[in-house]
Amino acid sequence: MAGLSDPELRRELQALGFQPGPITDTTRDIYRKKLRCLKEEARTRNEERLREEARLRARPAAASHRAEPWPSPPASSSACVTAGAYGDLGASAASWSKSRNLAYPARPVPFRRHASVRGSSEEDEDSRPLHRAAPGLGTRRWWAASQTPVRLPSALLGPDARPGLRATRAGPAGAAQAQPEVGRWLERCLSRLLLWASLGLLFVFLGILWVKMGKPSAPQEAEDHMKLLPVDCEKKTDEFCQAKQKAALLELLHELYNFLATQAGNFECGNPENLKSKCIPVTEAQEYIANVTGSSSAKFKAALTWILSSNKDVGICLKGEDPSESVTTVDKVVCLESARPRMGVGCRLSRALLTAVTHVLIFFWCLAFLWGLLIFLKYRWRKLEEEEQAMYEMVKKIIDVVQDHYVDWEQDMERYPYVGILHVRDTLIPPQSRRRMKRVWDRAVEFLASNESRIQTESHRVAGEDMLVWRWTKPSSFSDSER
Amino acid sequence: MTTSQKHRDFVAEPMGEKPVGSLAGIGEVLGKKLEERGFDKAYVVLGQFLVLKKDEDLFREWLKDTCGANAKQSRDCCGCLREWCDAFL
Repeated sequence: MAGLSDPELRRELQALGFQPGPITDTTRDIYRKKLRCLKEEARTRNEERLREEARLRARPAAASHRAEPWPSPPASSSACVTAGAYGDLGASAASWSKSRNLAYPARPVPFRRHASVRGSSEEDEDSRPLHRAAPGLGTRRWWAASQTPVRLPSALLGPDARPGLRATRAGPAGAAQAQPEVGRWLERCLSRLLLWASLGLLFVFLGILWVKMGKPSAPQEAEDHMKLLPVDCEKKTDEFCQAKQKAALLELLHELYNFLATQAGNFECGNPENLKSKCIPVTEAQEYIANVTGSSSAKFKAALTWILSSNKDVGICLKGEDPSESVTTVDKVVCLESARPRMGVGCRLSRALLTAVTHVLIFFWCLAFLWGLLIFLKYRWRKLEEEEQAMYEMVKKIIDVVQDHYVDWEQDMERYPYVGILHVRDTLIPPQSRRRMKRVWDRAVEFLASNESRIQTESHRVAGEDMLVWRWTKPSSFSDSER
Repeated sequence: MTTSQKHRDFVAEPMGEKPVGSLAGIGEVLGKKLEERGFDKAYVVLGQFLVLKKDEDLFREWLKDTCGANAKQSRDCCGCLREWCDAFL
């Protein structure tokens, strides 16, 4: 080592990942020492890795965390630089707090050095993984962990020497995550349900439409019934007469049925003949039948009688004076009505549509209402989440301000260690946003009063005025969560 | 972490020609030793700090080797110099 020239020394150091400054008379010894240390460290690290691998093969799960200690680039491994009793938290905290304004990434090396310095001072090779358990390492381990996200999981999984704050910060974040999660799941379910309900409703609607449209089999039925008429032969009673009379009656009834059906259909579908009702007066019907078939009124009456006496559904309703009462004798019959009005396709379609719509209307409105509710709920949830985020941002800013104020007071730049709540508000929120942010601010103040242990809310006299103030209670330097 | 008056005094203004004993952590004994080695002014020690690229560990190691400073003394000196650099360099 001593025989190395300056360029060689420089090269050796660079090979091990360390960038030395100028090698002058005063720095030469130091760099030689450094090189020695680095070489030793590289050697021990290799041995350590081999041992870890062996252990890993034996116990894969448990060792995986410990295999991670400082897998970092060589630049950080100055564990052997100062083997003296140099491990003190205070130094790093003080120096850090003074230089807080510098960009954090600009000082990666010193912090890691601190961590490894402390580590080296109280361990030997074998117990390297165990140094995680040392309580004093809380901050350092966390610092180092926060720098390289890869190491973070291993740090989190390590023993719980970490500051409690980190846990609590993860807490509210986790809780805030859970709430939208449940909300989202509910949203998804609700929207899917609504979709299926709408589709189902559509099909029901189409089904009703179809049913209302077609009843082509009805007249067939009535005609079949009519074929079973008992014969009423007026003049003669022989076969031929009976058959002929039967046929005539059939024809009469058929005509009557048709007539009534068309009249009823016309009535239903726009009523071009201006009928008063679906029920056709007996005289009118009789007249029509007489015109068409040339049969006498007696036959007509006979037909009516038969209809009355028959139990089967012929498709013709006989109505008396009083519509609710059923008619028993022919004399009481006032008008005739078709039970199956014959309507055109267009008319039938429109009627079916109307019926389907009115039947379905209630469900439709229900669905529309639920959709509206869903949209409203989504909007509300989103708004709540945003508000919550805004509140946490504000809380973070407040903590920073209060802490800075305290540090300034320590450096004799402020008169009091506490700062008025309203002053902080006016510092953080510009005048035009104060009304808008009022809610967020109030929630943040509430949160601080209940959930932040490092800030005390007190009442003091500031500049002659009594006001509520926040005071940073100086805990140990573990608790700085964002630095 | 409260700093000493010496520290505050040093960091408050450019060091100019201040002697090495005005550095925080460097008392009479250490100051004399440093002066024997040629570091008679604070700015020379600053020079050494800068030449070591403001590396804390290396500087403290150097201080220990050069004048036998203990942990606290070297920490104070290093912190003082670093803060001075932050403010004025």
